Amino acid sequence: MTSIREKGYHHWEGQFLEKQRTFWPITRTGLKLAFGRKHFKLFYTFSFIPAVVYAVIIYISERLEDFKSISQGAEKIFQINPNFFKSYLTLDILYFAILLLMSIGGAGLLADDFRHKAVQLYFARPLTKADYLLGKAGVVIFFVGTLTLIPAVLLYLLKLLFAGSFGFFLAYPGLILSIIACSLFLILFFTAFVLLASSLSNNRNYVISIIFGLYFFSEILRGIISVIFRSPLSALFSITANLKQVAAGFFQVKPPYDYPWYLSFLLVSLFCLLSYLVIKHKVRGVEVIK
Amino acid sequence: MNVELKNIHFSYGRVKALNGITVDLKEGATGLLGPNGAGKTTLLKIMLGFLVPDEGEGQVLGYDLRTEQRYIRQRVGYMPEDECYIPGMDGVSFTAYMGELSGMPRQEAMKRAHEVLFYVGLGESRYRLIDTYSSGMRQRLKLAQALVHDPKLLFLDEPTSNLDPTGRQEILSLIGEIASSKNISVLLCSHLLDDIESICREMVIINKGEIAASGRIEDLKMINYQLYELKIKGELPVFSQQLIAAGCRLEETEDRLIKIYTPPDFDQMEIFRAAARNGVQVRQFVRSQSSLEDLFARTVGVD
Repeated sequence: MTSIREKGYHHWEGQFLEKQRTFWPITRTGLKLAFGRKHFKLFYTFSFIPAVVYAVIIYISERLEDFKSISQGAEKIFQINPNFFKSYLTLDILYFAILLLMSIGGAGLLADDFRHKAVQLYFARPLTKADYLLGKAGVVIFFVGTLTLIPAVLLYLLKLLFAGSFGFFLAYPGLILSIIACSLFLILFFTAFVLLASSLSNNRNYVISIIFGLYFFSEILRGIISVIFRSPLSALFSITANLKQVAAGFFQVKPPYDYPWYLSFLLVSLFCLLSYLVIKHKVRGVEVIK
Repeated sequence: MNVELKNIHFSYGRVKALNGITVDLKEGATGLLGPNGAGKTTLLKIMLGFLVPDEGEGQVLGYDLRTEQRYIRQRVGYMPEDECYIPGMDGVSFTAYMGELSGMPRQEAMKRAHEVLFYVGLGESRYRLIDTYSSGMRQRLKLAQALVHDPKLLFLDEPTSNLDPTGRQEILSLIGEIASSKNISVLLCSHLLDDIESICREMVIINKGEIAASGRIEDLKMINYQLYELKIKGELPVFSQQLIAAGCRLEETEDRLIKIYTPPDFDQMEIFRAAARNGVQVRQFVRSQSSLEDLFARTVGVD
């Protein structure tokens, strides 16, 4: 029988965890806070609509005879090949949904900590800068992953399931790797993009402006440069164009713009690297005590 | 032994922040004092393991400053001066979260969070969002998060800022209890000398990156200088000039009471000799109890 303890301070008699995944509580708390934000669950649910539509297309593609009336003249849509999966991972609406979700649930990841001076609380614990950043990145990785990697892999498995044979797998043996590689690339980019924006201001509203500002500004810039120079390389100035170009490289299909896909790959990789350096600089773990 | 630093040097580029700091903080409560830019912040950073000293060595709770920062932070509680919190969290989740980050298992961190929140007087408000807390409640919450993992040593940076007199008294009484009867040592950094005097037995004064004084507060008051209070009849200026030339510092209060702070080894008869030389009558002569303010002002050379 446990003794009745008087109210007051008592020493903790437990043991600290020896092997601790320190980033995990940060990610879990970030996810909890994101889901607690107004309308977030609604937007998150709506973000799966493209995946559902693609699942329906896969289903119809396997039952073309049953759906003759709706598939007439649109056979190309119902061709399931690497291009199909690439098109899912390069949907403009998917990117927009990711940015919308991240503006609600991810804008404050670093900005709120800066604004409320919480960084010092983290670093007064046995945490490294890498633990902290990984914990924060985990939130973005979760949301982007559940909208890209997981649906894309599930669509692939759905296709195999509906096909009822290994014909599709044998026709495109490297497709699953392309899906995983392209999804991971998107996760990496959006994680760097959202955390960079979140580190640039203490105010989450400004962060949201930065996220959408950069996204749309890059499109406008591409349009202007394209008009002036009439060069396909103008796509290098656009976020979506670069992601689509890289995705084409991963799926080994014809790139949408007439230049090598690896140029976009290098550019986006450089952006991720620079973002990491900026974020690392902004999170100055040592400046915790005045 | 809680903190033992030997000959710690640290520079920010060309600016020398700490110059050969050697301190030995024992168990109990110790005050850390120093004017702005004295180096106490840097010293705290080094003790928490955020900065690696350029030279020197040291241990906190027996862990090496250079190689075992992780263990130091796991066993040290830190209450920052700033109002810092994570928006959108309630008090108990926040405190448990901080415990978990310290390495506590999740369930135990939550259980412990409830206990410490009751201890600091936030038991009834523990399910409220921190965003709705008053400044005083946030101050208590900071103390709770510093205590949640049951540290052996607490670094408290201005723990009574933003508090009303009652709240201040309550927090000081909590800290006093922690330091005196809970087997947790406290390093209290405050500009409110009354806070330090009411809680700490020992004190470290830093000035210009060096230890200006350290030891028991009572001893320091005695060793560093004597304070005499005088009432005189006669001309003060020449009398005071002679005493200043002898190394004393003089202050005259509104009711014409003259306070004389004398240097160590100063012969008090010198005051009477100076008075006699200048035809000044000494009508009252009291050796006064010096305050911590006096000690601090004198040690760091400010008025």
